[in-house]
Amino acid sequence: MDGLISFFASHHAIRAEVVLKRHAHAARLVPGPRELSPNCGVALRFEYARRDEVLALLARHRVRIDGVHVYEPRTDDWTAGLARR
Amino acid sequence: MIYFDNAATSWPKPPSVAAAVQEQLAQAGGNPGRSGHRLSIAAARLVEEAREALACLFQVEDPSRIAFAPNATHALNLALYALLRPGDRVVTTSMEHNAVMRPLRHLETRGVGVSCVRCETDGSIDLGAVEEALRPGARLLVTTHASNVTGTIMPIGALAALAPRYGARVVVDAAQTAGASPIEVEALGVDVLAFTGHKGLFGPTGTGGLYVRQGVDLQPLVRGGTGSDSAREIQPDFMPDALESGTINVTGIAGLGAGVQFLDDVGIEAVRAHECALAVRFIAGVGAVPGVVVHGPADPASRCGIVSFTVSGASPSEVGLLLDEQFGILARTGLHCAPAAHRTIGTFPDGTIRFSFGWFNTAGEVDTAVGAVREIAAWSARKRPDIQWTV
Repeated sequence: MDGLISFFASHHAIRAEVVLKRHAHAARLVPGPRELSPNCGVALRFEYARRDEVLALLARHRVRIDGVHVYEPRTDDWTAGLARR
Repeated sequence: MIYFDNAATSWPKPPSVAAAVQEQLAQAGGNPGRSGHRLSIAAARLVEEAREALACLFQVEDPSRIAFAPNATHALNLALYALLRPGDRVVTTSMEHNAVMRPLRHLETRGVGVSCVRCETDGSIDLGAVEEALRPGARLLVTTHASNVTGTIMPIGALAALAPRYGARVVVDAAQTAGASPIEVEALGVDVLAFTGHKGLFGPTGTGGLYVRQGVDLQPLVRGGTGSDSAREIQPDFMPDALESGTINVTGIAGLGAGVQFLDDVGIEAVRAHECALAVRFIAGVGAVPGVVVHGPADPASRCGIVSFTVSGASPSEVGLLLDEQFGILARTGLHCAPAAHRTIGTFPDGTIRFSFGWFNTAGEVDTAVGAVREIAAWSARKRPDIQWTV
């Protein structure tokens, strides 16, 4: 998942995950990276290619969002890094 | 899974806490202080037992000086809004949580003067600087007992002795120390002590309260039914009813009572010694790891079981994610609702990784965590520090 949505409050993030999963979108709650948002503790990773669909879905369910980012955290290479050693 | 987030809320709770909650719902489900039938009395008895256990814990002679509140934040708001009026001055520290800072900044817009004493980079406070801030006269001194960021313990006895010389009352935020450190509140001379039930006292969330010294009358934030003085349409002026309007959280308080009983059984000194020993062990363990910086006081006697650290080249959120996903270690990262404290120790705006140890943590868990931090620091050192994420 190469996209990330940040929120103003975790309440919105939890609701967003429920909405996306109910509509068969990949979604995963992660600690919000401070580089992207100073707000709540949790953010939601999703497939950036489906951005328009996802944003429309969240808007329809009145889930408020802070920002949408292309985001592939470097921590994703942790497993690969372990394999290299 | 290793739980190092006891400063957010303690986990696990003693089994007796869950049992007490269940028993209250099943056996003592009346409304305390209202109806007077057997279930109402059973509920009232649970609430008063918990109040007495807290009075005993804080060495308070009269349990009615303790009022329950939903959490420490409510208790602090109650105290600050009751004690401060436009034109008053309040002195506080730069290590405060937003539970103190936000009400004070709001009161500032209503004409209360706020003097914030800048602490040292290890979170400690200079008593001389506090005295300077008090000198022009102040209505109130409000301080945390221990920082939720660095674990730095404030000298509340000395502060409580200093404040009255300049006409100031003393409010202490004991969110991190109630249950983790002995507090003889009347001997210390503190006017108001705010505590939460769900951290060191092992109670459920939604429990907490405040001690109010005899002779200090606080106006409530909320007025309403108390079960007492029901013929009158004005709020009772006696403790604790003055500050406890609306049906109280009996279920939570039943659990809190069991939590305080558990604490009494194991002994608060034993808890303090255990949590400090874990903190010391962790600090010693990561002290030798290149790229890891531990914040807060060097002297173990000056801190509680909270340790904040940073890893060179990695953001706290990255470290937190790896700890959770790769090692099953649960910690809190970022600013911990205390931006002023992070500015003070030089970790604003990224924050830190915070481990907060509890009674149920073990030395083995700490050693596992030291190994995890070592691996993460090595991972970070292999990366280009200028690339945090790809866009």
